[in-house]
Amino acid sequence: MSPLRYTIMALLVAGVSLPGLNALGTEPTPSQTPAPWKIVNYWSTTCAPCRIEIPELNLLFAELAASNVQVLGVNFDEDDRQTTLRLARRLGIEFPTLTLSEVEALGLSPPTALPTTYILSPTNEMLTKLVGIQTKASVYTILTKLAIPH
Amino acid sequence: MRPNVIKNLLQFLLIGTLLMSLKTQAQNIQVSMLTPPVTDQTSLSRVITDAKGNVHLSWVASKDDNSALYYATLTDANWSPAHLIQQGNDWFVNWADFPFLAVTDTGMVAHWLQKSAEGTYDYDINAVFFDQEKHIWGQPVIIHKDGVSAEHGFVSMLPLGEGRSFMTWLDGRNTKPAMSHPDADKDEHAMAGGMTLRAAVFDRHGETLEEWELDGLTCDCCNTSSAMTARGPVVVYRDRTEQEIRDIYITRFDDSRWTEPLAVSNDHWEVAGCPVNGPAVAAQGHLTAVVWFTAKDDQPKVQLAISNNDGAAFGTPILVDQGATNGRVSMAILDSGDIAISWLHTNGKDAALKVALYSQAGKLLADTEVAGTQSSRRSGFPVITSQGNDIYVTWTDISAGSQVKMARVRFHLPAV
Repeated sequence: MSPLRYTIMALLVAGVSLPGLNALGTEPTPSQTPAPWKIVNYWSTTCAPCRIEIPELNLLFAELAASNVQVLGVNFDEDDRQTTLRLARRLGIEFPTLTLSEVEALGLSPPTALPTTYILSPTNEMLTKLVGIQTKASVYTILTKLAIPH
Repeated sequence: MRPNVIKNLLQFLLIGTLLMSLKTQAQNIQVSMLTPPVTDQTSLSRVITDAKGNVHLSWVASKDDNSALYYATLTDANWSPAHLIQQGNDWFVNWADFPFLAVTDTGMVAHWLQKSAEGTYDYDINAVFFDQEKHIWGQPVIIHKDGVSAEHGFVSMLPLGEGRSFMTWLDGRNTKPAMSHPDADKDEHAMAGGMTLRAAVFDRHGETLEEWELDGLTCDCCNTSSAMTARGPVVVYRDRTEQEIRDIYITRFDDSRWTEPLAVSNDHWEVAGCPVNGPAVAAQGHLTAVVWFTAKDDQPKVQLAISNNDGAAFGTPILVDQGATNGRVSMAILDSGDIAISWLHTNGKDAALKVALYSQAGKLLADTEVAGTQSSRRSGFPVITSQGNDIYVTWTDISAGSQVKMARVRFHLPAV
């Protein structure tokens, strides 16, 4: 991971939104790339399968860094921000974890089972819902099937 | 007008409005807010009724990393002070997996979850047993004896008499690779497996008298529930098959053995994840009722099934709610034999805590909204119990901070 990318990621994980490069990519400056596609993963500390797929999603996050596809996390348990960030660190999550208001802005309904991963269009339209443990390969397959450039 | 006159007038109007809003359905249902001795920053409440008819409320108070488990008792409309059961800085605190309190004939037993190792998400079920004669809580004991650093939780409890208590829980001892086991060198071919359902009977001091594995593969993170029928204890839980069907199953202690688990209803909900939404069971004599959440084909439903033979067989499921619900069910049976159910009916971010009353024949007798709440996981799992024909409900209000609430619901139904 490049130092710049690492710094940006660290800031995002810490809950710092950057102008034009916040976790949702909803504030692009005019000169920037279009709004991103999103892979949104719901996790919980009580969910053992969630913990199994996190390393795969970390790999995906690193490999998609240069693309216009973001990997984002949501704490299903809705702990306060400080607790959520602490848990994300302990779980080894390297991709940004959204705030409650950012989740709300996406218009997603909470999943009925964990783990669940949503794939959203740049306009936050839900393209597919993946229930159960995902791997890097399984997500790439879906991205290809949906013709999402990556 | 003098200020105190205005104040009195406003108070009169406020109380009048409150009373009117709480009396619903032509005065047939009365919802009364109670005032248990809870503070701010409280959650994870549970309410039970003991054999003498006393109602006990338990809850967790949190401050920074410290968690403290309390209980208070409601006797003849009077609350006891809040009693501290245990506190710690290394608890595993989660909205869906929270402490249980049971009252036996010689004391009490309560549990909480304690992290088994720093930096992991493994945790143990710790319990303490209260000696009524000495009026002290004993030393904490870990109720499972596997010695494996894994997930253990989603406990339910029953008093059994003669100071004994029954507990059932989800046990992750098989989810770890063989090297995690204390006897790994003897069992080098062991493989990581699934979550299991286990149960045990304890004496008044916390000694394990008997222990069983009830199911070798269950859903990972849905609460269990247990009840005492005329033939013995029953346990309901969310099963998991190799094909990822996660329906609600029951197993019964019958004739000195646990029966083969059977589906309460073959919903065939195939889902490769955990719904974090377990069932509830209640029993009175041979009457046994189960309520649960299911969402086959992404259609959320709350369903009720009734058995008249101690859970050996259930009738056709009765639809309680569908579409706008996220489950989080609880159940109690009144002295009248009517079946009370609670669940969350959702409306986007908002939710209504609903309570309904069904006859033993499965007919809806009445329902009401106890309180407005939120769909958020932070609002937790509401829990109900019965005392006579009254229903007591507890939940967490997160509209401003987090505070445990409690209400009594009375259904005044016309005699049939």
